[in-house]
Amino acid sequence: MATAAPSAAAAALAQRQKRLELRELLNAKYIYIDRTWDVVFWVTAIFIVAGAADITRLLFAGDWDFWTDWKDPQWWPVVTAFATIIIPSALQWIQWVAWRFPTGATYTCVCLFLASWIGRYFQWHIAEGYPINFVWPISTVPAAIILDWILMRTRSFVLTSLFGGAVWAVMVWAFNYIPLAPFLQPAQFMHHVLTVADVQGIVYIRSQTPEYLRHIERGALRSFLGETQYVSLLFGGTLAMVGYWVGQLIGRYLAVWPIGRYIKTY
Amino acid sequence: MDSRTAGVAQGAPTDWLDGWKTLFWGCAALLICNVFLWVWDYNFAFTAGLNSASRDFTLHYRTLFWGELLTVGIFAGVWYGWLVRTGRALAGETISSREEVRRIVVLWGIIGATSLSLYIEASFWPNWDGAWHQTMVRDTALTPTHIPMFYFFFPLSVVLALGAYLYGRFRIPAVYGADKGFPWSFFLLIAAAVLEFVQVAFNEWGHSLWLSEEFFSVPFHWPFVAYGWLAGGMFAVWGETILRLYGIEKEARGAAEVPTQTAAAGGR
Repeated sequence: MATAAPSAAAAALAQRQKRLELRELLNAKYIYIDRTWDVVFWVTAIFIVAGAADITRLLFAGDWDFWTDWKDPQWWPVVTAFATIIIPSALQWIQWVAWRFPTGATYTCVCLFLASWIGRYFQWHIAEGYPINFVWPISTVPAAIILDWILMRTRSFVLTSLFGGAVWAVMVWAFNYIPLAPFLQPAQFMHHVLTVADVQGIVYIRSQTPEYLRHIERGALRSFLGETQYVSLLFGGTLAMVGYWVGQLIGRYLAVWPIGRYIKTY
Repeated sequence: MDSRTAGVAQGAPTDWLDGWKTLFWGCAALLICNVFLWVWDYNFAFTAGLNSASRDFTLHYRTLFWGELLTVGIFAGVWYGWLVRTGRALAGETISSREEVRRIVVLWGIIGATSLSLYIEASFWPNWDGAWHQTMVRDTALTPTHIPMFYFFFPLSVVLALGAYLYGRFRIPAVYGADKGFPWSFFLLIAAAVLEFVQVAFNEWGHSLWLSEEFFSVPFHWPFVAYGWLAGGMFAVWGETILRLYGIEKEARGAAEVPTQTAAAGGR
């Protein structure tokens, strides 16, 4: 007891000292450092973050994100969960290490949301002529807010990957099921009962893609009937945990580790 | 001291209309190019871009292809020549804190333009490329969506990333001087841009060999993603120049008087 009290007092003193140093740093009158640096950094980083997040989603899970009829219960929750968590995880590391901001995933997903809508509107809708309600992109912003909240509460990247990865898969699916649900209503088309999304897929010609039924309905997972969705979400959550650590490797070793390091020339 | 240098000396290096003009002009030029190419494709992709054996295709797209490569090549030659020639003249000169800060501002301007170029090549055009190839028959590597994306913005990102390094190499020696070695940050950023460009060859080879059906998430597209991740090195460029800014602040406070800026050092 006698030794515990002084050490606690020393720790409190050190903490107070650290707070004072940070306050001094914050209130210091700088000659060259001003708010323009912050503005330029946060705005210009939007482009590279949006580009990295979008290319990762486009080329890992793009087909399942482009069309309403590809947003199926079997593959969509699995590939999308993995592809969309990678760059948010990298930015979580960067922003947490640099500023202690638990905002990296939200920042990334807002950037991705803007880039996705620019791409879908100008390229898929205006240039190619597909109706926007056939080619709308998903939003990962709500799931990202939860992922950042988990990091803020746990202050642990391991726990964020374990809980956050699982939650990510469920939340990405759940929040995007709301806009998707109207397209899953039954419709009678040429004497067959299909979904509205199926009808869109048949009416709007995609002459270079594999036909819908052969690709999407392949596999024995259909034998699980109504459980298919939950099995996919569970597996999607597992893959999202893996994707989270892929993102951590990008943030730690490709973005932060190289700072001030050089390849020596002899 | 010319009028441009005098202007720099009067205002703060981070004035929006002065210090950051490299960023604004760079981004404006990129956006103008992008709007031009988008409008070009919007007007001619469906009317002249479907049959690569046609005269219309040659007129509208092969000429555009060569025009883009020539433009990027000439821009790179002129810019790099200027950077190296003037950079060598600056070697060994003492630079003031203000001037070094101004140069970091310019570097951030080039990096910001590179960031925009990478977004255009990694998100804006791939969206149209996906829509195009899932709808239209591919009969050439020079499809209307490839020409702006692969043969303009891909090489342009390489040129901008390498140009940013050359700028730092000669003008910000405290961070990127030759004596320090080659920075990992720029190694990764330049590698991302270069590998994305060379991946085009594998991509076209793959399309000619394996698939007639267009999956956008096909495995031979994945290297585009992995190479793109290397662009994380851009954050390291921002990080190490921020650290240098704090160093300059510290030095400037410690020094009784900031070294006088030489006329030759200003405005480059």
